Amino acid sequence: MRKHILYSLMAMGLLIHSAQARPVSYPGGITAMTMNNGEANTFHLHYSPTAKTSLGYKFEYWRDKELKINAFQMNNLVKRWNKKDSQANLYLKSGIGLAHSDDGKYDGDNSAVGYTGIAADWEDRRYFVSYENRYTEAGNLDDFYMQSARVGWAPYEGDYGDLHTWLMLEVSHLPENKDNFEITPMVRLFKDVHLLEAGMNTKGEILFNYVIRY
Amino acid sequence: MKTIKILLTVLLITFTIPTHAADKISPVSGDALVSVNGLVCDFCARALEKVFGKEEAVKDIHVDLDTKILTIQFNENQTLDEDKLTQLITDSGYNVEEINYVE
Repeated sequence: MRKHILYSLMAMGLLIHSAQARPVSYPGGITAMTMNNGEANTFHLHYSPTAKTSLGYKFEYWRDKELKINAFQMNNLVKRWNKKDSQANLYLKSGIGLAHSDDGKYDGDNSAVGYTGIAADWEDRRYFVSYENRYTEAGNLDDFYMQSARVGWAPYEGDYGDLHTWLMLEVSHLPENKDNFEITPMVRLFKDVHLLEAGMNTKGEILFNYVIRY
Repeated sequence: MKTIKILLTVLLITFTIPTHAADKISPVSGDALVSVNGLVCDFCARALEKVFGKEEAVKDIHVDLDTKILTIQFNENQTLDEDKLTQLITDSGYNVEEINYVE
């Protein structure tokens, strides 16, 4: 728990002086994000040369697996559907890098790692739905699949520059876990260049995500 | 517990600091009014603000999330034609529905 909070504070401390959770930003946009939940702590910094691609560095620490991943990640906007009152997106997210294990017989071992998955979302100003999956292959150290889905509702429609509030429910599925489904209610706050999400899952584990985009 | 209090204080400050909210601008002759598809969030508006902010001809912009209208105000004796406006909006990741210039 303390470690979890410490990681969050460290990430915020790094980011607070530099200037939201889409995988690709606007042309020339830089995004930094930290995602923390019952399974892992991650940090991702990316640059978007166009509105269809982002390139960046991703660090992940999977606590139970004692697995650290340092990777180069590329996100691609495969398709966007812009409608008058809504928008939908399909993304491909992939990364390659180095994994390091501190777990049992693999203690101290390194391996090349690669992962890929898709992310899809639909939103209007009141409702939000998303789905994401990923397969990770880290040689002899580990391999795993995960997926998650979200629904969200905004209690009011904020104008440009207002504080935007969303109430969300996330269901995540990690097949290799004993309790492989987790449900996490959360609040998303979004204002200016800041996006923050905080929640707690059914096991009492905290979710804390923070994204800054400039 | 102290750590949690510090964390909550930082978050409270972050989300309550007044930020530059885009002021509404009253369209004048020469301004462009663009109806844009896909404008569903604050982030979309901010993306357009960033992209148009790099254009010398642009003095100010305003995004109305209710009407999905982007108002572009130009510097004196300058403008951007429909093709350029369409390209900038498309490059930002959105679609143009209609463009009108205020007479």
